Amino acid sequence: MIVTTQKPLVEVLDFISPYSNSNSNILIAGCDGCTTPPRGLREAKTLSQLLELGGKLRGKNFTFKVTTVVKQCDSYLTASILKPQMDNVVAVLSLACGAGVQTIAEIFPELPVFPAQNTHFIGMEAREDGILEERCAGCGDCLLAQTGGICPITRCTKGLLNGACGGSKNGKCELDPERDCAWILIYERLKKQGKLELIKEFRPPRDYQLKGWRFTT
Amino acid sequence: MNEQIIEERVALKINEDYCSSCSICSSLCPFEAIKRDTETGKTFLEIEKCQVCGICYSTCPAKAIDIIYYDIDSLTRYLERAKQEYDCDELVIMCKGSAPDFAGIEKLFGVTKFIPLSVPCVGRISEEVFLKAILMGIKRIYVLACDEDYCRFDKGSPIIGRKILALNLLLGQLGYGTEVITLNRNSLKVKVDKDLCIACGNCVFYCPYDAAKLDSPGVVSFDLSACKGCGLCVAMCPALALDLENWERESISALIAKLSSEMKPPKILVFRCQWAVFPPLNNGELAPNIRLIDLPCVSRVDTSHILEAFQKGIDGILIAGCSEEDCKQEGASKKAEHSVATLRERLGQIGLQDRLHFCTVAPRYPERFDRELEQFSKKLETIGLEESK
Repeated sequence: MIVTTQKPLVEVLDFISPYSNSNSNILIAGCDGCTTPPRGLREAKTLSQLLELGGKLRGKNFTFKVTTVVKQCDSYLTASILKPQMDNVVAVLSLACGAGVQTIAEIFPELPVFPAQNTHFIGMEAREDGILEERCAGCGDCLLAQTGGICPITRCTKGLLNGACGGSKNGKCELDPERDCAWILIYERLKKQGKLELIKEFRPPRDYQLKGWRFTT
Repeated sequence: MNEQIIEERVALKINEDYCSSCSICSSLCPFEAIKRDTETGKTFLEIEKCQVCGICYSTCPAKAIDIIYYDIDSLTRYLERAKQEYDCDELVIMCKGSAPDFAGIEKLFGVTKFIPLSVPCVGRISEEVFLKAILMGIKRIYVLACDEDYCRFDKGSPIIGRKILALNLLLGQLGYGTEVITLNRNSLKVKVDKDLCIACGNCVFYCPYDAAKLDSPGVVSFDLSACKGCGLCVAMCPALALDLENWERESISALIAKLSSEMKPPKILVFRCQWAVFPPLNNGELAPNIRLIDLPCVSRVDTSHILEAFQKGIDGILIAGCSEEDCKQEGASKKAEHSVATLRERLGQIGLQDRLHFCTVAPRYPERFDRELEQFSKKLETIGLEESK
């Protein structure tokens, strides 16, 4: 999933303050897509309520419309869902990741589109602990088959392809003692699977061109 | 130094002078709060475990148990008063846990005019109350209990079933007929709006009873026999696709609007778990600036309702739930506390955090809720003073 966090409300209030005290609407667009929990209709409504209350204390009256899109990064879906709702909308506040924000901005180039979330990474959530951790850097050259399903690019602080380095101590990273050494995790995992020979394979430096920037389906 | 310790008032006590140590109470207590001292043979109560279901009180043959809530005398007084007020001879005794609104009651029992008596668990009503009601001239008594596996006090619903069976037999022998008392069971469950569901699985994660399932793609399904109607999934649903029977989102919103309009500032709205605070039978006199909304569990408290109340001009919101240990819904109150804390943090960003407070109370300490409310009122006053500076 994509991990995002809420932007401070004061920052969001600053974005939208030029659009206060008018009869026009600010559209808050949720996204039912990749985050946990999805920032869908509930979060759109909650945000509208918080911003209305925050605005009031600052002498600003906002009028919001709330909606949600299945996946904001899908430009076709987003256009078809949002276009019929744009009457009298002067600004859009998107609860999606950066991709969703940009999708809306591209569909409505004449409108200011603001992010309500900060986007961090592609990761996973340990729901019980509520911990969100990066798991994929989108490098375009997936190594997980050789590393026992553990990604060294995101989980090794140095992104080493041939670890562990000399800074690994008692299974922890020298840069952050809280953090497990990814290469020790990989070693243990491969050992468990009887595939330790994989760790001896030499992995050449990454080809950064593989990351790519555009593909055609 | 003042060493005096003031003993806190508790809701239930065993009166040693009357207790014959028959152990009926300890065998019926659903929470193992009543025990027998093996050395002295005396029966004693561990108040921290007691949930004040009243089952022991209503079954004690020696009348050795004193209870603060819904004792026989106050129930009798209520019935006497209500019989005149409602001017009818049909009585409906319902458990707060599963009672729908009055229209729903009419439908369940086919009655249109009745004296309502709403209590937390009908298992607490003793045979004596039924007989007194009949002596008062009440012709028919309808009892609405929760489904047996839905009962918040585990044994309350089965016990009232047995009591009614025995009472009807007895009344039959006395010549009143065998159908004076009618028992019905009900439970209030989750509802899914399939058009809104985005199959995100949030409810699957939060449901304390594994009732939510995402077996088929596209939409969640609920095993309603497992659902215990706490409302946690409803309050957590990111798509606003879930609702809870009798505590629908819209009806709570309407109630907030209505209450806010009749209140005087500084307006304090309280969302309470109906198992954390037992209201008096006559509902008492509320101060004009305070209004209460009782919920099936504090986990039904919806962030959108809290914010809505602030938007409607409420000055302070107090949320009173059970502690994690007392929660009748498998720790759902803990989750509610967490989501209130999260909302409070966000309210803090716009300077409103002190207007929202979460507290845990229990009916075993009848004065605690009032104390929390008083403290919160005082805190609000100081906020008001600071803001007017």
